[in-house]
Amino acid sequence: MNQATLPPIKTLEARNRRLGFIFVLPALVLIGAVILYPVGYNIYLSFWKPALNPAKPDTLVGLGNYARLLSDPEFYASLGVTFAYVAITVAGSTLLGGAAALLMNRRFPGRKLARSALLLSYVSPVISSVFVWIYLFNGLYGMIDYVLVDALKILPVAPQWFDNPALSLVLVCLFDIWRVFPFALIMILSSLQAIDSSVYEAAAIDGAGPWTVFRRITLPEILPVVASVVTLRSIWNFYKFEDVYLLTKQVPLIGVYLYRTAFTVNDLGLASAISVVLFLIIMGAVVALASRNKGERV
Amino acid sequence: MKRIRLKNVLLNVLVTLVVLAAVSPFVVMLGTALKPSAESVAYPPTLWPKRPTLEHFADVLKPAKFPFSRYFLNSLIVAGSTALIAVVVGSLGAYAFAKLPVPGKKYLLSGTFVVYMFSGILLVVPLFRIFTALGLYDSRLAVVIACLVSTLPAALSMLGNYFKTIPDSLEEAALMDGLTRVQCLWKIVLPLSLPAIMSVFVYVFMIAWNDFLFASIFLSDPEKMTLPVGLRQFFSSKDYVWGRMMAASLLTGLPVVIIFAAVEKSITGGLTAGGVKS
Repeated sequence: MNQATLPPIKTLEARNRRLGFIFVLPALVLIGAVILYPVGYNIYLSFWKPALNPAKPDTLVGLGNYARLLSDPEFYASLGVTFAYVAITVAGSTLLGGAAALLMNRRFPGRKLARSALLLSYVSPVISSVFVWIYLFNGLYGMIDYVLVDALKILPVAPQWFDNPALSLVLVCLFDIWRVFPFALIMILSSLQAIDSSVYEAAAIDGAGPWTVFRRITLPEILPVVASVVTLRSIWNFYKFEDVYLLTKQVPLIGVYLYRTAFTVNDLGLASAISVVLFLIIMGAVVALASRNKGERV
Repeated sequence: MKRIRLKNVLLNVLVTLVVLAAVSPFVVMLGTALKPSAESVAYPPTLWPKRPTLEHFADVLKPAKFPFSRYFLNSLIVAGSTALIAVVVGSLGAYAFAKLPVPGKKYLLSGTFVVYMFSGILLVVPLFRIFTALGLYDSRLAVVIACLVSTLPAALSMLGNYFKTIPDSLEEAALMDGLTRVQCLWKIVLPLSLPAIMSVFVYVFMIAWNDFLFASIFLSDPEKMTLPVGLRQFFSSKDYVWGRMMAASLLTGLPVVIIFAAVEKSITGGLTAGGVKS
């Protein structure tokens, strides 16, 4: 007898499998449409010189965009600035967040309120925070310059926070550290709270001092979390755009360079080549990190 | 004993200083919003106005003076729809990944992890061309779709982590009682996961509410602009008033701060769980 003529036997397993597929489908379709397809299209676009007028055809330039990118001094300059920015902000926000977490990991009156207050800069919209920072640091009637120059007399003249490239880098780093340290704070605090208090009691009985306790107990316990905070923050800050672009024109992070190339210079071909190279850099770093971690575990 | 007390006092002072430093820009924001226009550009600057005024808040809310309410509504539409789509699509997908046999699950899961590494800035060029070709340029829908790039993978992983903590035995019992899988999801898993769903909604809402990048590229009609691009444009128009900008900044931050406070406990829990996982 022909098997095909029998009604299909639907086991529970098969039904679940079908349902699972149906449930996953919208997510897959969306991720495919808004992420994977654009990624593929971006790679394709990086070999073309897209016409500004959509009615006109694009011109194939092969590796031309990449050649232009790799011979562009501006690209290397912004890579350098970006690495400096990532190093400073990741170190700064993780250290500040970690220190704040250690301070918060005690019982004291008003702890809940302090915690909520500390999260404010992380929650508040970038645009709001940027406006206040511009107001605080402006060269005519800014409070920061007033305190530094007239009140405390630390500096002889008002620094040009928004026009001097080096000072602008300081400014955007300070802004980012202030804005994102709560992320490190929450992550590290929750791992501190997961440490069994009996370990500390045992250490106290053994007569261990605070530094030994920190180095031998606390640090090893929070290190995995610190590592993932550093990894995530490095990736996020490598792609940073909005905060810096809105604060000053003087810090050409790679994200800002990409944005300007695409939408100020209208060089979409070069911009898509930048995207591809950036993604390769991050992918390379993540793969190298993952394989090193694997090697250590074995 | 005395040394411990002294140490505690010192630490409390330190906490107070850190908190004051962290919130001081918001104090300045409020102080400037309440300053009469002349005082906000006076030198030496004042931290708090001598005679506070609510005129800037009143101005911001007058559509004739400042299109704040229009931008606000646009932001609400964009952030609300993004969050809704992310929660619905994310719940279904996360449930399937957590509880159902999905063909190729392992690859799909590691695929969503790779997607984590894409940031909006990498996709803005192809999305711009695709939206232009589809006629979606200068539509709020384009911003919604683009915001899903940065939020859907996180929504999937946060919800998935939560669903996994719901014991299978609960659903098995319900299946025995004759409920279907869909009913299980609707009547058992989703109600139990309400805190997680709320926090994912808030998380996505905040990201979409804050978005400047996509809105600045995909929107050109002032009628459709969201708060970040609208305020930014107003700020560069030279006739801005500091008090008004600060009042607008405060009102822009208020909704996200309020909804964040409402779900703070579960969202920071979910954030740390998701963060450690990845």
